[in-house]
Amino acid sequence: MDINDIQDQIIDEFASLEDRFEKYELLIKHGMQMPAMDKKYKTDRYAVKGCQSRLWIASEVIDGRMIFHADSDSEIVRGMAAVVLKVVNNQSPDQVTKADLYFIYEIGLRNHLSPVRANGLASIVKRIYELAHYSVTQDQERNFS
Amino acid sequence: MLREISTERLIELMRRRVKIIDLRSVEAYNGWKLQNEKRGGHIPGAKSLPLKWTNYMDWIEIVRHKEILPHDEIIIYGYQPDESHKVALLFGKAGYENIWIYNNYINEWSTNDYLPVDKLPRYRHLVSANWVNALLSGKNPDEYDNDKYIVVHAHYRNRDAYLSGHIPGAIDMDTMELESPETWNRRSPGELKKALEQHGITGDTTVVLYGKHMNPDNDDEFPGSAAGHIGAIRCAFIMMYAGVKDVRVLNGGFQSWEDAGFEISIEDVSKRMVADFGVNIPANPELAVDTHEAKEMILSKDADLVCVRSYPEYIGEVSGYNYISAKGRIPGAVFADCGSDAYHMENYRNLDHTTREYHEIEEIWRKSGITPDKHLAFYCGTGWRGSEAWFNAWLMGWPRVSVYDGGWFEWSNDPHNPYETGIPDFSNNERVKRVGL
Repeated sequence: MDINDIQDQIIDEFASLEDRFEKYELLIKHGMQMPAMDKKYKTDRYAVKGCQSRLWIASEVIDGRMIFHADSDSEIVRGMAAVVLKVVNNQSPDQVTKADLYFIYEIGLRNHLSPVRANGLASIVKRIYELAHYSVTQDQERNFS
Repeated sequence: MLREISTERLIELMRRRVKIIDLRSVEAYNGWKLQNEKRGGHIPGAKSLPLKWTNYMDWIEIVRHKEILPHDEIIIYGYQPDESHKVALLFGKAGYENIWIYNNYINEWSTNDYLPVDKLPRYRHLVSANWVNALLSGKNPDEYDNDKYIVVHAHYRNRDAYLSGHIPGAIDMDTMELESPETWNRRSPGELKKALEQHGITGDTTVVLYGKHMNPDNDDEFPGSAAGHIGAIRCAFIMMYAGVKDVRVLNGGFQSWEDAGFEISIEDVSKRMVADFGVNIPANPELAVDTHEAKEMILSKDADLVCVRSYPEYIGEVSGYNYISAKGRIPGAVFADCGSDAYHMENYRNLDHTTREYHEIEEIWRKSGITPDKHLAFYCGTGWRGSEAWFNAWLMGWPRVSVYDGGWFEWSNDPHNPYETGIPDFSNNERVKRVGL
């Protein structure tokens, strides 16, 4: 599935819920279902700054596809990271850099989170784009060398 | 089914370990009389949980964070019965079972002088967006008896933050107008006088300050440019030190203005210079402490230096700033964790950037020996976070509170000054144990 198909699937999943507290619960559930992050990534190098809770995001490229790993000591931050990763995982670095993550608005994550948590979400998205840009750049350097 | 309780029953229940929840705005909780009630403030022991926060998807997380747990007996009160009812239903949905509603706060509790109320002693200096809007509309808001005011949007080298949207009529002020970019300390009296006059401020002007929180990233070249509201409180401190008699801070900064849905302006409002500040600067020198006095305070039993930095800075893992290389802490200072890093104050704020419930801050401080009977000097790296913590203590009416202006930057620049790193030995020194969330 491409990025937009996955986004639409997540939008449908959240749209079926009655209120924002049920959406919160679903977010937490996504976080619980996210695979555990290898301890080797839980270092300063992979820490995302500017987020109130501790958060780590790492990535690797396998067969041209980006695989992201994330964890947080906060349930909701872990949940936010999980839904974003669900969208961008297994996509090429180029696709991730060009992705318009509209699902964040559609499911109410941008407008219905407290401002501090909304900032945390912005930090997650920013790091995802940074890692994808880095992978694109590395790839281009390899092609030139 | 939701149960209502009488004032008598509430008094009885207060003898048990019930959790009382105040749904009104942070301002009403702090002391503002928003519904013309006889007395402002809140029922002693009540937790502040404004109705506004139920709009957040993560509301239940805030509830748990305040240690309001499903097995607790909960009493909810606010201004309007329907609001209490709505929140009681939310609690019920979240698995809370022991819920009562108290609907007689305005007509019985606040009118009965025999029943206690608590309030933030200097609440009038922490204003709401509604208050600022009333001021701008010429409506002479509550607790305002002046004929001149100025609204100031503070920022650090970030006029774009101002020009991209600010409170109508507000002028902008770069924090560097009031603090030196070499030392990051307050500027000299002459420089302060000139800067304040250029911004149209006299000692008698009511100054309303606010800033914009723009998600600071410690990896940016100038992270402080995105931490505008801490900068605004830093300016409030320096103005009070200089002698501005009536300084107000918009609680929550620009976020509160946006949340209230008021008009946003992009006009570059020109500053109207005044001829004379009118007060000898500094009118309140005791508000600032410099290094020689900070050293005396460390040795004094009657005083404490309060370190308002993050834990990684405190144990010397990081300096906190891209322009400070030294890592470590001042020996003997008491730690009062600011939050995640040098540009965040999460431990002193609610999730919408309004100031955290003052009882919670007070309780955390007390556990660490930070108490109002002492002379306290709050500091951080260069003064912003120290100023915000100081402002909290000042609002609480604590009598001898200052900012140690030099902070870690000035202290660590002198190689003769001692410093420590690593995790402190709590067993030998209870006063330095980690506090915070």
